[in-house]
Formats: sequence, structure tokens, C-alpha cells
Amino acid sequence: MALTNDEFKALEDIVGTEYITREPVIMESYNQVWGNKLAFGHKRHNPPAAILLPGTVEEIQRIIRYCNETGILFKPFARAFENVATKLSNDRGILLELKRFNRILELDEKNMHAVVEPFVTVYQLQDAAAKVGLYTGKPGVGYTASVISLACCHQGMTISQLYTSGYGRNVLGAEWVLPTGDILNLGAAGREGGWFCGDGPGFSLRGILRGRAGANGGNGVITKCSVKLSPWYAGPPTSYDMEREPGKALSAGRLKEVPGNYHAVVLSFPTTEQMMKASTEIGRAELACIVAPSYLYTGFMEEGNDEFWAKMQAESEKDPTRISRSVLIILNGHSNRELAYRKRAVESVRAKWEGYLDEEYNDPQMLAMMFQYQMWSTGIGGLRRTGDFMVSIQGADGSTEMHLNYRPVEFEAFKPFRERGNIVQPDMGMSYRPMEHFSLGSSGGIATGYDPWDPESLAAAREYMNMVYDSESPFRRFSYTNRGAMMQVEEIEHVHQRWGPIYDNADIWLQKVRNMLDPNRVADWSGYIPPEYNTDGK
Amino acid sequence: MTWEKYEHDMQRCSRCSYCKYIPWRYAGNLDFIEGCPSAARYHWHAFAAGGKFNLGLSLMRGEIEIDDTFLDVLYKCNMDGSCDISCKVGQDIEPLQHIQELRIKCVQEGHLIPEHMLVIEGLRKQDNMMMADRADRGKWADGLDVKDLSREKADVLFHAGCRYSFDEELWPIARSGIRILQKAGVDVGIMGAEESCCAGRAYELGYAGELVKYCEHQRDVWRNTGVKTVVTPCADCYASFAVLYDKIGQKPEVEILHITQYLDRLIQEGKIQPKNSVPAKVTYHDPCHLGRLAEPWIHWNGKEYKPGTMPIVLHDPPKKYRRGTFGIYDPPRNILNTVPGLTFVEMYRIREYGWCCGAGGGVIDAYPDFAEWTGAERLREARAVGAEAIVSACPWCKRVFMDAAENTGDAIQILDIVELIEQTL
Repeated sequence: MALTNDEFKALEDIVGTEYITREPVIMESYNQVWGNKLAFGHKRHNPPAAILLPGTVEEIQRIIRYCNETGILFKPFARAFENVATKLSNDRGILLELKRFNRILELDEKNMHAVVEPFVTVYQLQDAAAKVGLYTGKPGVGYTASVISLACCHQGMTISQLYTSGYGRNVLGAEWVLPTGDILNLGAAGREGGWFCGDGPGFSLRGILRGRAGANGGNGVITKCSVKLSPWYAGPPTSYDMEREPGKALSAGRLKEVPGNYHAVVLSFPTTEQMMKASTEIGRAELACIVAPSYLYTGFMEEGNDEFWAKMQAESEKDPTRISRSVLIILNGHSNRELAYRKRAVESVRAKWEGYLDEEYNDPQMLAMMFQYQMWSTGIGGLRRTGDFMVSIQGADGSTEMHLNYRPVEFEAFKPFRERGNIVQPDMGMSYRPMEHFSLGSSGGIATGYDPWDPESLAAAREYMNMVYDSESPFRRFSYTNRGAMMQVEEIEHVHQRWGPIYDNADIWLQKVRNMLDPNRVADWSGYIPPEYNTDGK
Repeated sequence: MTWEKYEHDMQRCSRCSYCKYIPWRYAGNLDFIEGCPSAARYHWHAFAAGGKFNLGLSLMRGEIEIDDTFLDVLYKCNMDGSCDISCKVGQDIEPLQHIQELRIKCVQEGHLIPEHMLVIEGLRKQDNMMMADRADRGKWADGLDVKDLSREKADVLFHAGCRYSFDEELWPIARSGIRILQKAGVDVGIMGAEESCCAGRAYELGYAGELVKYCEHQRDVWRNTGVKTVVTPCADCYASFAVLYDKIGQKPEVEILHITQYLDRLIQEGKIQPKNSVPAKVTYHDPCHLGRLAEPWIHWNGKEYKPGTMPIVLHDPPKKYRRGTFGIYDPPRNILNTVPGLTFVEMYRIREYGWCCGAGGGVIDAYPDFAEWTGAERLREARAVGAEAIVSACPWCKRVFMDAAENTGDAIQILDIVELIEQTL
């Protein structure tokens, strides 16, 4: 049901005519995102009743209070690169696009943290931080990922978790407009003591703010957040300009060499198991800043699909197991001495597990490319192949052993799909590997390729996804609480309801929290948990 | 291809929003990360190329109709192709061609922008896009001792284009162009009042038939005059002749050069040599139609397929996309680097991912405030790199920059590369 004219006028009075629209043509550009076809059977989901661009925190409070008065559903979003960002649970819902909140408010070099607004991207913060010798973790998503979305609302893992920790754990404080319209300041900011610590002396409600999977816009609006930063060991980012040969496309731009104070090496092993053991040791000893799959040729973005395919074919002809037996290690050090020590230590682990250096993979430019992709800038190469992919099974936070045990289960479960071939995992035989890191708190996801516009491929993808969501499937508790990067649409997939009982009725507690924060049930729950389950059990 | 043929692209746009920005990994200064003027100026996602893919799909599915908002979104777009370049760093789809075909559809169905109707009416009556009297077309060259190719023969035809022909403030640049070529000993002539529009801009507005008509006319002129080379100081004309005519299967049989290419060649051959010092810090603005949009058209005939059941869209034969790589970027820079005393400094958004001046796509006609806003953004960028002057190579760019500077009080010097070079000779 659309908004009444009076309701629209009331909202318009809050933000101003320029910053609200309900034009059907405009609405149609807020309901079409990759992943929709898999979830809804159409590229399109229901459009919002209106879109607003609030410009101040006070405006956000007034909007939300008006929603409480009228029962209008609301959902905030930053960059809207996933369907959970713009999906609304009913037709009487509005979207708050936060693009006017685009400032890095503080960059505290001494205390190593930054205060940002919701539209600030990881790339923006990386760029600004590197100029003062600091670094924010590199998530596995593209340039336009919002810092606050990662830290407070959504997937918060980072590839560089070994030394930066994950976004979700780096929140030092937040300004949170609750679903009632009240402001809650988390962390030290709540006591006017600055942003330096999230666990005191002020409130620490990070678990409720975000938890593992995030509320995905379902528990209010985070209007400011302070995130912890880590040291950046090299120079400012202008040193890392992409270079390319004349006549090469922009996508061929490459970092030419690994910058100073960093060292990259690809270790290869006789078996995948040896690679995993060595990786675990390196991770546990915190020798590296990144321990990650060695993308090698096939992980990079080539000029186009045809060029990518040609490279992939050439690579698979060499040795299809080579990727699954190799691992990328990136080391850092404050000094040459520290870096040398880390190199020696990694070398001893390599020797212990009979590893070797594959010359082709350790080509300096190849290593620089891997460094670039893991530490700095990447797009989403996986989307080019068909315009879509699904982040399929992803283990929740857990030990490396958990992942090691889990890997063969997933490998077997995916086997029939692999044989059919119409959904793929781009790792040439190694089904599951923690993407983010191999240390404590290991987690990871797999970008599974499918074609939503090929009926057979789509059917296979759904079949696989349903298996992932089935609490009786071989995956068991590994599936909870997400499919991949928390991109579940709750009203379709009912993840919490399916898995809550297995996890000590976590869904009941989550529902209590949700309803306590949002007594009038105006915060959209498409990516969170419904205020109550329907009588049909959904 | 008609707009429906881009359904594949509409379906596979992921909403990554990269079309709004220059390719992030090339960003030298994040204050200048915006790539699409329309997405930067207007608030809603619909104004970006990705949003227009959404509108295309919804239109196809009957979810929306073409109304005033649709036209507003579709035409507040400079057709500058920044979206196309950024998108194609990660995707194999065609944002710009989709927008082009939507515009053609709108025109074919009578969904017209009033300001553009006036311009097109002028084109049809007077063969120019400036709503000016055809008889005045050659006035810019009055007093120049230059061959009139409607009566004489020459190796090279200098095609001034509509803007240079009718924008009196810019006449000195066109005249400079002739003088430089003559100084270099080039056997050059003009068509004077007999010159006609290239129709590239009309095509961008969606008037596809005009392109065919004027393309045939130009080819007749070139054939009848017997010229070997056509040189134009207008980037729009260059892109029309070199790219759009080829796109519609009418590739010119004569050599087509933008004047920067020709001047670069003449300098390399030693026929002209910049001598006088220009002691200034100067930056260069890549006109979209000389840069990414000047990349040669790539014809491809084949089929899309997937290998076995693998989910990856491939092409047989392999398909090369136009990713802006082979635009005309180096000749103007080569020229500037020969100028004694000149300190050349690059802006942040350059070459394939240059920022538009604001004129393109009919914006200068229908939404002049948007055009000026876009131009002012470019001047701000030039200032940010410390430039005292911004040099371009297209009359449309110069016009918008001049207007933007006047209205914002920006004192930066705005030059066309032709007038700059003449100063040095």
C-alpha cells in the first residue's frame, strides 16, 4: 500500500522536496540487484513506497518517529549492492538512502581510529588512512562497501583479519538512532570521553548492534561509527598507482611491485592437507598479515570473459590441483629486521611441511598483483561471468580445526553439483577453504558461480542453497547464521527460525532484542528476524 | 541493435554502482572520484547507467511507462560514456549503447524533449545544430585566404563544425586552425556555407535517421571534392565521422583526423615547431568525443554461448569490447609537451576516465544549468592540481567552460589547443 498524500507531505516537510521521491520510475532503480533472481524468481523485488535522503541525524530521528506514529516501515542503506539492502518486508515501507552522510569526521593518527559516516566506503577510508600510515582491513567485497555497513550492520570479516581483526570487532563507538527515534551512543562516546574504546567506560552493546550476521538495516540507523585502525607499513597510496602497458585495457592495470615493508610469497605443497597445516601454523603464530588462497591467474580480473576463459583453460591444462595446494602469505614488518625474522619463520614452516616455491607463482609481478587484490583495491570479478554469483556456504566464526573438518563434508556435498557443472566453485577441485584467514576465529566464504538466466543453472543453485539451509543436511550447524555474507532474505529463507533451535534458541533471544528495540515494529526485518513468526511457522 | 536487444545487459547489471565513479583503483584523489555527471548532480540511482538498465528492464516488463520523469532521467545525461568505461572494467555489458537505444526508441515513439525538438527542427531546415541561418555558416572564415572546396580542389578539407561556425566568440580558434595548417604548407580548404552538420549530436539525442542522412551527405561531399583527408577541430565531428559513420556501416573512405592528430603529425614531421615560450602551468581536458568515444567502432558478428553447462557467458568468435583504450589521448599531450616553457600537469580524471565538460548528449541545449555545473566541476579539478590554464580540443568544451567560469567567477584561463599552438609559432 502506497503512502497517503498526507504521509508523503509529512515526510517531505522533514527532508525537503529535493530529497524525497515516490516517482515510480525512480523507485524501479531501487529494487533490482544481483541475487534477486535467485531469491525472488525475478530480477525485481517490490519497490519502496518512497525514498528519502535525510541530511542530518535530527531528520532521521524525525522520520523514524513519524514512522512510529503511522506504522510506516523504514530501512536505511548506504551503498545498496545487495538485495537485503533495499528489500522491504511490505509495500508500505520507505528507504532512507544515506548518501548525504559521506564524511570522514575524524582520523586520529595517534590513537589509531577513524570516525566515519555511513556512506564512507572502505576504499575512501583506506586512502585517507594510508596517508597517515594507517590501514583499515580489506573486506572481500568491492570498492564501494560502506565502513559502517561492515562494522555495524552486515558482514564484517576482512581478508586481513590476522592483523587488523574484522570490521565487526573493530567498533569503538557508535551513534545509533534506535527504531524508536532515540539516540544511543555506544562505547566511550556515550560518556563524552571520545571514541577510544568500545568496551568502556560507556555502554558496550556491540553484540546487539551487530552480532554475527547483522540486522541489515533492521534495528535503526548508525549515523556515526568509530573504527579501530592498524598500521600501514608502506607509503601513501599514490605510490601504488596502477600501471599498464600501452594498449592494455584499464582492467589490466596492475601494481608493479609489492611495496616496501611488505613481502609476498606463494608456498606450494605436495598435498592440500599439508598446505592447510602449514597455513594454520603460520596463522596461529601470527607471522603474517594475510594467509589467503593463491588466486594465481584465474582469480584476477581479465579484460573480459573471453580473455578470462582463455587464461583459465590454459591454467587448468597445466595442473588443476596447483591452486588448491598453494597458499599466499603476505608478511609485514616495522623494520627490515622484523620482516627478515618473519620470513625465516615462514621458511621453517614451509620446510617442515615440505613446501616449495613454484617459480611461476612467485614471479614478482604476479606477487604484486596478489598483494593488490588482497590488501588494497579490487572490484568484483565474479560478477562478470554471468552478472551474478552466490556466496554459498560460509562457516560461522570457528576454529581452523572446524574448517578443516568441515571441508571434506562440503566437498562431498557439492560433488553432484560439480559433476553437473552448471554451478561452479572457482577453485579447481578444492571445494572449501577459509577465505578470510587461517588463524583463530577462522571464517570464509565461497563465491559460487551460476547463471540466474539459465533455468537449469538457477535450479541447481536453488537446490544447493536449499541444502545449505536445511538444518538436517550434511552441513548441519555450519550453515548458521548465514549463507555466505549474510545475504539471506529472511522472509524467503527463514534462516533464524530453521537454525535457532539448534543454537540454544538463539532466534527467540534475537526476537526479544529486536522487539525491545522496536516496540512498534517499524524497522524492516527483511535481512533480520521478523517480530513474530507467522502461524504457518514462517 | 534496438533497445530490447540489450535485455541481456539489463538482466546482468549487478547494481555495483561503479558506473557512477571513475575506476576506483585509478583514483588519484577521492575528491574527484565521481565519473558520471548525472549521477553526481542528481540524487537518485535512476540517473546512473545502472539505474537506466533497471528502467529498461521494467519498461520491457510493463512495470513502468515512458513519462516525464523517465525522459528527465534519460536526457539529463551527457552521453559522455564514463559509465561505459567504468562498468566495463568489471563487466561485459554496454551501458552507453543501451542509453543510446532507449533515446532512439523515445524519439521513434514521439516522446520528445521540447528544447531538442527546436534544435532538430533547425537541423532539418538549416543543416546545423545551432538554430542559425545556413547562409551564415562560412562567415567565420571571412577574410581568410583559404580555398573554397565547393569551387576548388585541395588535399585536405577543414571541417569546422556547427559550434565553430556559429559561435562567434570561438571563430578565432577555427581561423587559427586554418592559419596553422597553411603555415605548415598543407593544401587545405573549407566548404564554407556549404558545410553541413555531422549529425552526431542529433544521433545522441535519439534521431538516428539524421545520422544516416548527413553521413550520406558528407560522404558525397568528400567523394565529390576529391579530398584525401578531412581534418576537424571539433571532437564531436571527429567521433561522428570516425566512429558513428562506421557504426552504421558507412565507414569513410577518406582519412579522418582530429586537428590534434594532424598537428602532432606536423610537429613530428618538423613542418611546424612551437617556438614561443608559454610560461604557464597548464592542464589538459580530454573531450569525451576525442577520448573514450573516439575509440574505433568494433564490429562483431557471432553468437553468445556457454561452454558446456559452465556458467560463464562467452562469445564465438571472442568479442572485443570498446573499453576506451584506443581513444585519442596522446596526440594532444604530445603537442603540449613541445611547447617551450609550458609546465604540463594532469588532472585526476583523465584519458578513458576523464570528466565530461557538460555539453554532451544535448544537455547544453535542454539543461544548460546542468552543463555549467558539470563544467564548473572540471574547472575546480583543474584548480586543484594547480593549473593556471585548462586546455581542451573541442569547441563544445570551451563554450561550457567559458560559461561556467563566467558564472562562478573562476579566473582560470580557458584555451583550445589550436589557439595555444598558434601563440607559440
